[in-house]
Amino acid sequence: MIRFENVTKTYKAGSVALRDLTVEIDKGEFVFLVGPSGSGKTTFIRLLLREEDPGSGRIWVAGREIGHLSQWRVPYLRRNIGCVFQDFRLLPNKSVFENVAFALEVIGRPKHVIAAQVPQVLDLVGLSKKRESLPGELSGGEQQRVAVARAFVNRPLVLLADEPTGNLDPATSQGIMRLLDRINRTGTTVVIATHDASMVDQMRRRVIELDHGTLVRDQARGVYGYGT
Amino acid sequence: MAVSVDYVARETAANLWRNRLMTVAAVLTVGVSLSLVGASLLLRQGVAHATTQWADNVDVLVWVQPQASTPQLHSVEQQLHQLPFVRTCIYRSQAYDLNEAKHLLTPPEYQVLTVDTMPSSLRCQLDNPSEALAIARQFGGYPGVKSVAVPTKAIHNIQEVSGILQKVFFALALILLLSASVLILNTIRLAIFARRREVSVMKLVGATNWFIRVPFMCEGVVQGVLGALFASLAVFSLHLVLDSYSNVKTGNIWYQMQMPLGEVVVTSLVVVAIGVVIGSAGSYLGIRRFLDA
Repeated sequence: MIRFENVTKTYKAGSVALRDLTVEIDKGEFVFLVGPSGSGKTTFIRLLLREEDPGSGRIWVAGREIGHLSQWRVPYLRRNIGCVFQDFRLLPNKSVFENVAFALEVIGRPKHVIAAQVPQVLDLVGLSKKRESLPGELSGGEQQRVAVARAFVNRPLVLLADEPTGNLDPATSQGIMRLLDRINRTGTTVVIATHDASMVDQMRRRVIELDHGTLVRDQARGVYGYGT
Repeated sequence: MAVSVDYVARETAANLWRNRLMTVAAVLTVGVSLSLVGASLLLRQGVAHATTQWADNVDVLVWVQPQASTPQLHSVEQQLHQLPFVRTCIYRSQAYDLNEAKHLLTPPEYQVLTVDTMPSSLRCQLDNPSEALAIARQFGGYPGVKSVAVPTKAIHNIQEVSGILQKVFFALALILLLSASVLILNTIRLAIFARRREVSVMKLVGATNWFIRVPFMCEGVVQGVLGALFASLAVFSLHLVLDSYSNVKTGNIWYQMQMPLGEVVVTSLVVVAIGVVIGSAGSYLGIRRFLDA
């Protein structure tokens, strides 16, 4: 589903974000991407979304090489990738329902599809009762659930999460993880970049560890740190 | 990808309303700028119009002495007609000239005139006004001729002044147009900046650039058109004001500049078209930097 082949990404200032990275993630996998700040996790995600051009090497998503995708095709790539961030990135003046519906609206889905799919996904994340609330009226955990719903409502092939629990307390984080796990069970490939050691340890899923842009560990049922 | 009309209309209306203060500001700026552009165009046309009128009426006036004999008059008339560059020559009687003088002069001035003391005149139109001096030279001392009036220098001055005025108005219009575009661009940029979160989310979930662009461009076009309508109104008002100043009797400059309503309508349409163009171009440029990630 996702394949990095000898990818090196150097920023203009000269700092190397990824160094000759080769890694493959299969369809339906649940992967934690770990490593200290500046290890290249966020660059990994930005490259998948084509928010950055890869320096050298090749990247495939769903059988398509995205490194040389022409600019106008990038939106279509992003429709296959749901994305969740630490800061939720919800629109504060739209209700929960509208925030989720917005993701379908902007890719031109007809109204009846929106009317059918949004309640379904809000049910999945457990926010059916708060569909008319504004993001500001929700707790952090609830806001992140809305973000997950928005990322998933289009049934993407891949769901990326960059520090999804970074702003949440442990109990709430667990809820989000369970939700991502549930989404993974529908066949969606899930990639989570995180610092949350307890979460990684608890889930016991594949762990890819980066350090200074280099792959230092790729473990099938791993934990956060070495030897723990 | 198809962008639904419903979505665009809804977004545009919502955006305009949400940023209504900015919208009013943009509309007014465009309105004022385009009013000046329209006024410049109108005045430019007016000046061109007036010059045409003056140029068309170029006459060499050969004043014939009141006491000149009929054979003398005929001789002058005949010789004028023989000149190759003279298009037409019309004889105006002493009575006609006196009547005209009554229109052109104040009562105390024309009251001292009588038909007997009034010179008659031969009014000639030339193929080329610059030949007028030749006539003046030839007929200046001719028996029976009082004097030859050649408006060459005056005409030359008028043409020169109007040429400069037209250039000035045109340059003024261009500068104002540029500033109007920059103002729209800036307004749209501010509008987008205020909604950069929304734009970034749209990009994140895979909206195409055109999908993001179209509502903003519509917003720019609506602002441009509203401003242009405002400006058209101003152009019409200017036309009416000029009309009210114009005086058929004295044939003052405003009268000379008077132009048919059709030209005013065309000017207004041009102004609206410019409004549409700068509205869409300004918003297109305004949003560009937010899309090229």
